[in-house]
Amino acid sequence: MMTPEGLSALEQLNEMRLTEDERAATLSIFRDMEAHEAALGAIPTDDVEVMVHVMPLTNILRDDVQEQPFTRESLLEGAPEHTDDSWQVPRLVK
Amino acid sequence: MGQYVTEIKRGGAVAVDDTIQVKGCETRAGSRILEGFRPLFSAEAVERLERAGYGIAGKSAVGEFGLDLLGEFAHGGANLDASGALRGAAAELVAAGGVKGALCVDLNGTPRRAAALSGVDFLKPTYGTVSRYGVIPCACSGEQIGVTAKAAGEVWELLRVIAGHDPKDGTSLPTETYSYNDGKAVAGMRVGLVRELSAAASDAVQARVTDCAGRLRGLGATVDEISLPLSDAARTAWNLLLCAETCNNVSRYDGVKFGYRSPDYRNIDELYVNSRTEGLNFLTKAVILYGSDVLSKGRYFTCYDKALKVRRLVWEQVKALFKDYDALLCPACAETAYRPYDIKDAFKTVFAESLFTAIPNLTGLPAMVSGGVQFFADTLQEGTLLNLAEALEGGSAK
Repeated sequence: MMTPEGLSALEQLNEMRLTEDERAATLSIFRDMEAHEAALGAIPTDDVEVMVHVMPLTNILRDDVQEQPFTRESLLEGAPEHTDDSWQVPRLVK
Repeated sequence: MGQYVTEIKRGGAVAVDDTIQVKGCETRAGSRILEGFRPLFSAEAVERLERAGYGIAGKSAVGEFGLDLLGEFAHGGANLDASGALRGAAAELVAAGGVKGALCVDLNGTPRRAAALSGVDFLKPTYGTVSRYGVIPCACSGEQIGVTAKAAGEVWELLRVIAGHDPKDGTSLPTETYSYNDGKAVAGMRVGLVRELSAAASDAVQARVTDCAGRLRGLGATVDEISLPLSDAARTAWNLLLCAETCNNVSRYDGVKFGYRSPDYRNIDELYVNSRTEGLNFLTKAVILYGSDVLSKGRYFTCYDKALKVRRLVWEQVKALFKDYDALLCPACAETAYRPYDIKDAFKTVFAESLFTAIPNLTGLPAMVSGGVQFFADTLQEGTLLNLAEALEGGSAK
């Protein structure tokens, strides 16, 4: 069962913060889902192989050819903050 | 029309959901976290439409990453009709005649639900037949671009343009083009009415399904009530996978390379946390947190791995039905109208409604909504779905 402490750890892991109301709502969602997970768990699957993709797909690798589809300038254009040649973030090392 | 279109690129015929990239056109996927994001390239489906001479009319609003019922929790606000009921933006645009059709991403049934409520058609094709290159990704193993249009003939016309192998999408099937002309005639067709799904809908929706069954019989089809016992398990399995995959895909939004950045931060950790906290709505956060949990060490095998195994069982159960039936008939949603509600109830509400829509997302099967009801068909049998819809609409546009 998900605990408030466990939920706080998940928030930290996923780089986000919930309000107290949102925490209560999220814990309620986890409680609800437990019943559905239990029903899923009751289905016998010991001899069943996992099905990651439903269609028969194989990895096809393209040739490793160097190319530059976008310019550095165009990639930087969408950034919230950037210098002439880099994305800008707060100082990482004091 | 203005409230539905986020940006008019130029006069044209086809709207594109805001989860599909159009080069240079702001693509927010209904989320604050992508505010100001202008893609450097268009989705392959958009490029194919433009190469075929179709204009892109603009972007149709969606809920954040398409995770809600009908776009009700889009950052820009919900779409409501005159009575205050929720409506899907693309479906309403099509119904109003503002565009010839719309490309919509079917992640958890939203465009099918919207089509049923607005009285238009939507076809989610077989997984892998339409490139997902340029789609803002959430649940890559089951989401698929489909077509909303007023009638089956228009769905067919647009779907043929966008479908076909794309080497840029690793999940694209090898077939280069699809004709969708190989469906069976409705007279003589065998249709299974899915008992579990029909029984879960409201009386009004059940009546609509029953009426459709009667009309199909009138057209010479056989309609039998059938059972799909794993329907409920399919819903749980798909929602587990959707949350897990969304958790991974949405982890890329951090306020650094594009989109929204919180103005309130003192260090890199606060930049990440504040940007994501302010940029994502509660439904997306709940999906991420639950998805993160089912992928954790102690839960992976009992939840995520289990869902992948149940996917195979559902696939086998549905495939077995298609040995006897050409199509399955069921509701697309439980009600005939939905009202705005609190976002804290969104996860449970969407989960409940996905009972009707999860099977095609989980199994990759094609599904079509027409006349307010839903049909599933076997893999690559979109022609059968189009023939059914066309017959019920009384047309022969192909």
